Amino acid sequence: MASKGRLNGHQEKMAYIFITPTMLLFAVFTIIPVVMALYLSFTNYDILSRMDWVALDNYKRLFKDSLYWTTFVNVIYYSVIFIPLNILLSLGLAMLMNYKRFGVRLFRTFNYLPTLTSAVAAATVWIWLLHPEFGLVNGLLSEFGIAGPAWLAQTETAMPSIIMVTLWQSIGSNMVIYIAGLQGVPDYLYESAKLDGASAFARFRYITWPQLRPTTFLISTLAIISALQLFDQAFVLTQGGPGNVTKTPVYLIYQQGFKQLQMGYASAQAFVLAVAILIFSLINMRINKAEEPVV
Amino acid sequence: MKKWTSMLLSTILLLSVLAGCGPSKSADSNSGAASGGDGASGKPVELTFWGDWAGEGQKQFETMVDAFNKSQDKIRVKYVLQQDMITKFMTMASAGGEMPDLVFWDRWRTSLYAPKNVFHPIDEFMAQDKVNKDDFYGEAIKELSYDGKLYGLPLTVDARALFYNKKLLNQAGVKPPTTWDELEQAAIKTTKWNGSKLEVAGFSLADNGLFNMYLQQAGGQMMDETGTKTNFNNDKGKAVLDFWDRLLNKDKVYKVGFEQGLGEGTDAFVTGKLAMQYTGPWMLSTYKKYGKDLDFGVVVPPVGPNGDKGSVMGGLGLVIPEGSKHQKEAWEFMKWWAANKENALLWAKTSLNIPGFKPALQDPFFQNDPLWKPFLDTLEFAKIRPQHPGYSVMEDDALIPSLQLFQQNKQNAADTLAKAQQRGDQLLQDNAVVK
Repeated sequence: MASKGRLNGHQEKMAYIFITPTMLLFAVFTIIPVVMALYLSFTNYDILSRMDWVALDNYKRLFKDSLYWTTFVNVIYYSVIFIPLNILLSLGLAMLMNYKRFGVRLFRTFNYLPTLTSAVAAATVWIWLLHPEFGLVNGLLSEFGIAGPAWLAQTETAMPSIIMVTLWQSIGSNMVIYIAGLQGVPDYLYESAKLDGASAFARFRYITWPQLRPTTFLISTLAIISALQLFDQAFVLTQGGPGNVTKTPVYLIYQQGFKQLQMGYASAQAFVLAVAILIFSLINMRINKAEEPVV
Repeated sequence: MKKWTSMLLSTILLLSVLAGCGPSKSADSNSGAASGGDGASGKPVELTFWGDWAGEGQKQFETMVDAFNKSQDKIRVKYVLQQDMITKFMTMASAGGEMPDLVFWDRWRTSLYAPKNVFHPIDEFMAQDKVNKDDFYGEAIKELSYDGKLYGLPLTVDARALFYNKKLLNQAGVKPPTTWDELEQAAIKTTKWNGSKLEVAGFSLADNGLFNMYLQQAGGQMMDETGTKTNFNNDKGKAVLDFWDRLLNKDKVYKVGFEQGLGEGTDAFVTGKLAMQYTGPWMLSTYKKYGKDLDFGVVVPPVGPNGDKGSVMGGLGLVIPEGSKHQKEAWEFMKWWAANKENALLWAKTSLNIPGFKPALQDPFFQNDPLWKPFLDTLEFAKIRPQHPGYSVMEDDALIPSLQLFQQNKQNAADTLAKAQQRGDQLLQDNAVVK
C-alpha cells in the first residue's frame, strides 16, 4: 500500500515535469497575449506612441461600426452554407474511401492533397481557374452552352466561390478524421443489425451517425472556428470585394491593427469575435450532446 | 536508470525554455553600445538601410549603396531587405530593438506615422546644407510633410497616364484620345465582341480606385477644404459615374471581371485583349520586354468635359527614424542620393523610375524619350492623395465597395455617391485621431 502511494506520488511529479514545458509555452504564447489583448481593448494603443486607458470607448465605437456588423453577417452567411456542406461532403467521401478496395489509398491521398497546399497558393490558382473569359471553370461550362459568371467579381457569386474553394481545401483533412471515426465503429453492431434486417439507411441512421457523434462534434467545432475566422482565401480571392460582400471580421481586425495602427480598437473587435466563436461553439456543443452515443 | 535520464532530459528542456526568454535584451543593448562607439573612433560609421524591394529592386538599391560607399570613406551603408518592413519596423519601435538609420518609405503613409514621432524631421539638415525644397516635386514634398515639418526626400515619383496599343488603334483608325469624348469613341471603335464573349476591350475599367483621378478630370476634389470630409457626392462625382455607366452599359467597351486574375504574361494589354488603360511608369519596363510584339504608346490622361486635367501622384522616399543613432550620417546618404543631379540620374537609369529631383529630369534620357515625356507632362499637374490618416480606409471600405455595386448595376448613381459619402465620412472621423 505504502509503496503504491509513493509510486503515484512519483508519477504525479513526473507528469508535472513533463507538462511544464508545454504549459509554459501555452502561457507565454497564448494566455499572456490573450490577457494583454483584453487589456489593450480598453486602451488607445497604437504600437508606436501611446497606450492610454479609454475605458469602453472602443466597444462603444464598435457597436456603431456598421461595416463590422456587415462583416459578421458575411461570415455567418458563409458558415451557414460552409459548415453543413463540409460535414456532409467529408462524411460522404469518408464512407466511400472506407471501402477496402484495391487502390483506395491512392484516392484517399488524392482527396487529402488540397489540404497540403498553402491557402494563399491554392487561392491564387483558383483565381485563374475562375476567370470569366479564359478560366477552366467557365471553359467547361461553355462546353454545355452555359455562359458562366465572373465568379469573383459579381456580388452573387463571390461568396459561393469562396465557399467552394475553402470546401475543396478543407474536406480532405476532415475526411481523414471521419475515416478514423468510421473504423472505430465496432463491426458487431452492423452484424447484429443486419441479422435483424435493418436496411443500409437504417444502419447509417441508427449506428454510424450516432457512433460518429464525437467525431462530428470535433469537426463541426473546428469548422465553426475556422469559418468565423475566414481570412486568407477572402483576402486573396476577392480582397473583400465586390461591394464588401466578402469582407470578414478578421480582415477588418488586420486592417485596423496593422494598417491603421489602432491596436486598441482592433483588440476590441477581436474580443467580440472571440466571444461570438465561443457562443456558437457552445450552441454546437448543446446540439451534439443532445443524444449520447450508443455503447 | 531510465527514470534518471528522463528526469534529466525534462529538466534540460525546462531550462532551455526559460533561457530562451531571458537574455535577449542584454544582447541588444550590447550591440547598441558597440555601434554607438564607432563614430568616436576613426572607423567609418555603419548605417543600416531598410527596404522591402527584393530581387531586381535589391540589386538596384545595392548599386546605389555601393556607389555611395565608394564615393567617400566616412560612412558605410548596408542594405537590409525586410520583406514585411512595416511590421518589423513597428516591432523594433515598440520592443526597443535597434532601429535602422534609413527607411525606404511609401510616402502616403506619412500622415499616419509622422504624428507618432517615429521619424526625424530633416528641416535643419536642409537649411544647413542649403538643399532647396523647390528642386523637388512640390506635391511629393507635401506628402512627406506633417505639421510644417519635412520628414524625408522623394526618391521616385509616379502618376498614371493612358497606355494605348498602337496596332489596335491604327486598325480602328483612331488617334490616341485627348478628351473623355475622344476616349469614349476610341474605346467603342477598338472593342470587339464575339457573341456574348468580349474579345478585345476598348478601355479598362477594372480599377475603381482610380475614381480620384476621374473626379479631378471632372473638375472635382476628393475632400473638402477642411480636409476632414468627402467631397464627391455632387455633380462632379455624378459626371464620373455617368461616364463609367456609358462606357460599361451603353457602349459596352468593358466587362466587369475581364482582367481579374491575369498576371504578367497573360496581362490583357500584352496579349492584345485590351486597347487602352490607365497605368503608371512602373509598367514601362515590363511592356518594353515584349518589343515588337507589343507596339504601345503613352499619352497624358484625357481631359474631362470642362478641360480639367487630373492624375494622382504617388511614389517612394527616404526617411530617418527618430531611433537612429546616426541621423547626421543618414542625412548625408539621403542628400547624396535624392538631392544630387548625377546620383538621382544614376538611380533613375538603374531602376527606371522618375526621380523626385527635378534637375535630373532635364537629361535627354527623359526629355527625348516618347514614353517618358507623357509622364513628365502628367506629373506637372498630378496631385497626391489627400493627407488624411483615414483616407485609404475611406477609399477601400466605403467608396470602392459602393462603386463596385454601381458597376454591377446593383445601385444607381445617386445612391452610390450618397452611401459612399455617408460611410466614408464616418470612417474618416473614426480614423482621424492619430496622436
